[in-house]
Amino acid sequence: MGFLENQLEENLLTTKVDWMINWCRLMSIWPMTFGLACCAIEMMAVGAAHHDIDRFGAGAFRATPRQADLMIVAGTVNFKMAERIKRLYDQMPSPKYVIAMGACATGGGPYYKYGYTVVKGVDRVVPVDVYIAGCPPRPEALLEGLMKLQDKIRRSPVIRKPARTA
Amino acid sequence: MDFTGICDRLKAIGAPGILGVDEPREKNPEDKKDLGRAGDSFVLVDPEELEGFLRFCRDDTELQFELLCDLTATDPGNDDEELWLNYNLLSIAHKHRLAVKAKISKENSNAPSVADVYRAAQWHEREAAEMFGITYRNHPDPRHILLPDDWIGYPLRKDYEYPKEYRGISCE
Repeated sequence: MGFLENQLEENLLTTKVDWMINWCRLMSIWPMTFGLACCAIEMMAVGAAHHDIDRFGAGAFRATPRQADLMIVAGTVNFKMAERIKRLYDQMPSPKYVIAMGACATGGGPYYKYGYTVVKGVDRVVPVDVYIAGCPPRPEALLEGLMKLQDKIRRSPVIRKPARTA
Repeated sequence: MDFTGICDRLKAIGAPGILGVDEPREKNPEDKKDLGRAGDSFVLVDPEELEGFLRFCRDDTELQFELLCDLTATDPGNDDEELWLNYNLLSIAHKHRLAVKAKISKENSNAPSVADVYRAAQWHEREAAEMFGITYRNHPDPRHILLPDDWIGYPLRKDYEYPKEYRGISCE
């Protein structure tokens, strides 16, 4: 805080509440710790030192849905798992976001035709904010997806009414 | 011991239920319809005698198949009336293997459980049961193992029809 301390002594900082709240939200997106398949390995790589998701404030992987803001669905979702995912999603406090990572979570992927127990897209179970293509996506792609989500949060209205679309 | 040796030993100790022996062969160059057969040699066994047969394989000192590597089933196609049951045995002591097969009818598909002989068979039989619709008689724990409990149909049967929806989730 040394930088701000000297600059803003006995001064005021003015901003919009919307901007401030959104800034707080988008710079501390805490994801939930869970992975379903090979995409989870890439997600772990993103969490590790080389790609370092902590640069975007999203490195605090929480081991409980009650403390998490973001659900990264990293991998194949089958029907048995879908129920659990729905339940975990319901347990997360709002505002909550979902990233569908990879081909399986986006639309069934390689199991689309003959995967009898694979859910053909996790958006049939929970609402998805950002889809990431790839099988599995590169770590950079997940970071890009995270930044897309941050853009989305930045534009979202908190106090001001949403712009009318007429 | 090689395959012929194992077969001879099985006959010598009087293992029950042996119906025949099948070995891979080259295709006949003069007969174009003859495709030969690839794969492993196996012993075909009467499904009703499976448990006793495997008990002989396990307990005989010269065979000593103490490990059940794999247990599964095969649906050869819609034209066939029968399902195949496959058992792969391994003897660690004697370093030899044996493939055992049995045929059961698709309509009345039940077979004796061999979980009493090999404990490892329990989970394998549960999987084969839900995938192929085989009823293993006297199985100690006949629940589903991979699929949800309320799953309808047997996915690895060739005539399986894919579900339209499952608990409100569309599969189209």
